[in-house]
Amino acid sequence: MTDPGDGAFTAFRVGDRLKKLAQPPWEVFGERIRRYELHLNGARVEMIRAPVELEGYGLRLFRAADDQMGVGVAASTDLRDAGVDLALRDAEATARFARFPTRRVDLPSTAARSASVEVMDRDLWDHPLETLQRFVDALLRPFDGRKDVQPSFGSVRANLVDTTITNSEGLHRRFSHTLLEHEFAVKATGGPEGAPPGEFWVNGAARRPPIEHRVAVDVERWCRLAEDTRAGRSPATGPTRVVLTPEVLADILPAIVGFRMSGTARLRKMAPEPGATLGSPSVTILDDGLLPFGVGTAPSDDEGTTPSRRSLIEGGIARGGLYDLLHGGAFGEGSTGSGRRDAVQFPNWFHFSQSVGPRPTTIILSAGTGGTETELLEACGEGLLIEQLGYAFPDPVSGAFGGEIRSAYRIHQGRRAEPIRGGTLGGVVFAPPGSPSLLASIEAIGRQPELVGHLSSPAVVVDGMIIAGS
Amino acid sequence: MPSLRDAESDLARALARLERRTAYADVMAQRSSGHGLNLDRQTTSPRPLPMLEGAVFRAWDGATWVESAASGLTDHALVASVDHLLGRLPTTPGKAPPGESPTGHAEKTTVEQRPAADFGIEAQIEWAKTRLDWATAVPGIENAFVNLLFESDERLFLSTAGAVRHQRLQYALGAVVPLAIEGNRVETDRVAEGRTGGVEVLDAITEEVVMHASREAKELLSAKSPPTGMMNVLLDPSTTGTFAHESFGHGAEADQVLRGRSYLAPLLGKVLGPECLTLVDNGALPGGWGSIFFDDEGHDAQRTVLVDRGRFVEVLSDRESAAQLGRRPTGNTRRADFLSRPFVRMTNTYVEPGDRSFEELIAEAKDGVVLQNFMSGIEDPLGGNMQLKVKKGRRIEHGELTEIFSSTALSGKVLEFLQEIKGVSRASDMEFTSGACGKGHTDMLNTGTGGPYLLSRAVVGPG
Repeated sequence: MTDPGDGAFTAFRVGDRLKKLAQPPWEVFGERIRRYELHLNGARVEMIRAPVELEGYGLRLFRAADDQMGVGVAASTDLRDAGVDLALRDAEATARFARFPTRRVDLPSTAARSASVEVMDRDLWDHPLETLQRFVDALLRPFDGRKDVQPSFGSVRANLVDTTITNSEGLHRRFSHTLLEHEFAVKATGGPEGAPPGEFWVNGAARRPPIEHRVAVDVERWCRLAEDTRAGRSPATGPTRVVLTPEVLADILPAIVGFRMSGTARLRKMAPEPGATLGSPSVTILDDGLLPFGVGTAPSDDEGTTPSRRSLIEGGIARGGLYDLLHGGAFGEGSTGSGRRDAVQFPNWFHFSQSVGPRPTTIILSAGTGGTETELLEACGEGLLIEQLGYAFPDPVSGAFGGEIRSAYRIHQGRRAEPIRGGTLGGVVFAPPGSPSLLASIEAIGRQPELVGHLSSPAVVVDGMIIAGS
Repeated sequence: MPSLRDAESDLARALARLERRTAYADVMAQRSSGHGLNLDRQTTSPRPLPMLEGAVFRAWDGATWVESAASGLTDHALVASVDHLLGRLPTTPGKAPPGESPTGHAEKTTVEQRPAADFGIEAQIEWAKTRLDWATAVPGIENAFVNLLFESDERLFLSTAGAVRHQRLQYALGAVVPLAIEGNRVETDRVAEGRTGGVEVLDAITEEVVMHASREAKELLSAKSPPTGMMNVLLDPSTTGTFAHESFGHGAEADQVLRGRSYLAPLLGKVLGPECLTLVDNGALPGGWGSIFFDDEGHDAQRTVLVDRGRFVEVLSDRESAAQLGRRPTGNTRRADFLSRPFVRMTNTYVEPGDRSFEELIAEAKDGVVLQNFMSGIEDPLGGNMQLKVKKGRRIEHGELTEIFSSTALSGKVLEFLQEIKGVSRASDMEFTSGACGKGHTDMLNTGTGGPYLLSRAVVGPG
């Protein structure tokens, strides 16, 4: 493969068929993906998967029905004429019974512009296996000569994606992008006698591999956390001031804020009213579909609309929401470029088979005046630094989250003290005025944001988080 | 109905091209499709499930498995996949991979008493609207999410050792989630039934259970936070099943044992819990959400007792890990789909019933909590800690059930939790639950869990 997107016109091929057979309005989203995987057992590559090739499309038909819209959908990997015809029949059949409370859908037209954004790593695209192997080498190099800390398992996976979008208004959108997924576990056996081995287990996704120096720094940190886990003790029970790292917040905020501020939630009366107080005055949250190399960034959303940078919460007050074409139509707001087939909570590496809805891209918690992590610890005084939960299990509908503390430290006199492991931390992101919530209890926000998956955020100090321990 | 058997000769021809370069190769072709429905007060969304079709080839290069996969079953796709593999294989076959290679032909299909294919869109919408009406008949509940899913998963496995395994699995799932909303506070409860089978699976979602869920959601709006700290915990059947899966089952996967990533590795053969505890993985469970006829290496699904009356006696294995451990494969090699690699995976994992009644366990707990309606869990196979999350619970005070509380997390050390087990309730309390499981954070597939009520001690708190 020499050129990004060479020969990949999946949606356009299906669209050519629909032009002959389908009444407008209609839309096709296509993907052609090459995926490469290296799987590690310890430091050994135990399986190579190269390549996994997937091509498929999702189509939607929009049919007026009384004062509502019947939206017919279908998705398939069968690109033969017979396969497209079958998908079209399925979509027409569902459109007859489907109902969505809007009378109009304004599909983007040929005049719609796409954003110029950075979403592809050229080395990964041109040399996927070699780039993956270099990434693996960088992950393993810090273990040279170490005996007490070793990799236990992992995988790295490169997705090289050609996305195409077309519709009955003549839109032809095509772009190529890369995604690198990694999962890696570090096992520590040194340290205190009798304690079980310690593990630090990470996973993530990015548009491009990190530079080798950054990998080395991360691996050193993971090794330290794995070692310290062995000596970790259960925390005390009760309301506690905590410092939450961006990694912890990344499991919570995009899923819950992204849903509750969406047209989907507003349609069901679950979204906060604009102007409602949701957090402390220091809390400003945006959705940024244009952030360079964000995993949610793309030249257009999955309906062909140009993404935007949109304020959701300003100074703790609810502002705008996230809309796709249908929800934007229902509220007379128009799309905010948030029509997405991806999900932030349980993302899938291919999207054509998923349903479209208003969803976040990269949630930004704006930097504050809390300074560096060291200064945040000083501001916290006494409490816990939470490095990792088993999983925060965000419930987008109720806004609740909570999980086991896998890696943490006690903060004593403003400094990192002994390691903590076990017990639970939990709460809700939003709550009625006067009730405790994560956003309302934020006391300080750091000034150094980090991009972790679908979140860009500094660490924060939160007062009164409920800890259940020994 | 089209069958993957129609592509068998093309697949066999493609596989034969690999035989000169490897001691063993196999192919798994898959076609999945189906239909579903999402309905609430505002929207009605019937949807055909994606039609996904393709094949994955696997070969042993003498030291490592190599794989290539592609969507579509055209000659072009199959030839391209095999060509990719040939480029990675040595010029002559090396030694054979570890483990047993199944042989012979077999074919199995899920029995549907009322076939999903006959349950048309109009009937689905009527079913869902009826449940929505039941849910919203409770004062204070104005809306509910109602979901239906009928999925067909057809797989054909061929190997150079001569195995031909063809199976069609049919999944049916229905769920009702009543929504209680007051200002910024939103609470839900959930009724769900998912099994392999046909429309008859939905019969369990009755007016009584739907309205009960609505009343519980409404009550959760004014619920206090859960109590926090170490206490007696009575797990409901859905939570017992999640415990069996997340906290024990993952540690009993042989690949984790072999890579030194299981807290259970040094404990095989040891007594870990009381005699009332028997824990099983059963891929052959009739109607189980995680049931299969054959695994994706061609081995028959089976019932495997992991913990027998308190003693840890067996692990779950694929051909390679079984060979390394000197055991037999347990039929637990599963791919999420043709796009995903095989791993040792659970099927239906559950705690067998005991001899106590629910009332006896409440009385024995005296003070503590009953945790209800599991939402999720996550494994910690090396550290041996546990994390479970439930939608709701009730306090147990002086041997009586009292006030309700909302979202709660449970944690603790699995081995301590096992040793603290005080009782398991009877077969009449036994329930099975449909879920999805990842290997690590990826490769989600259908797994079933189950059990009766189980009383032990753990740390609980908001979650």
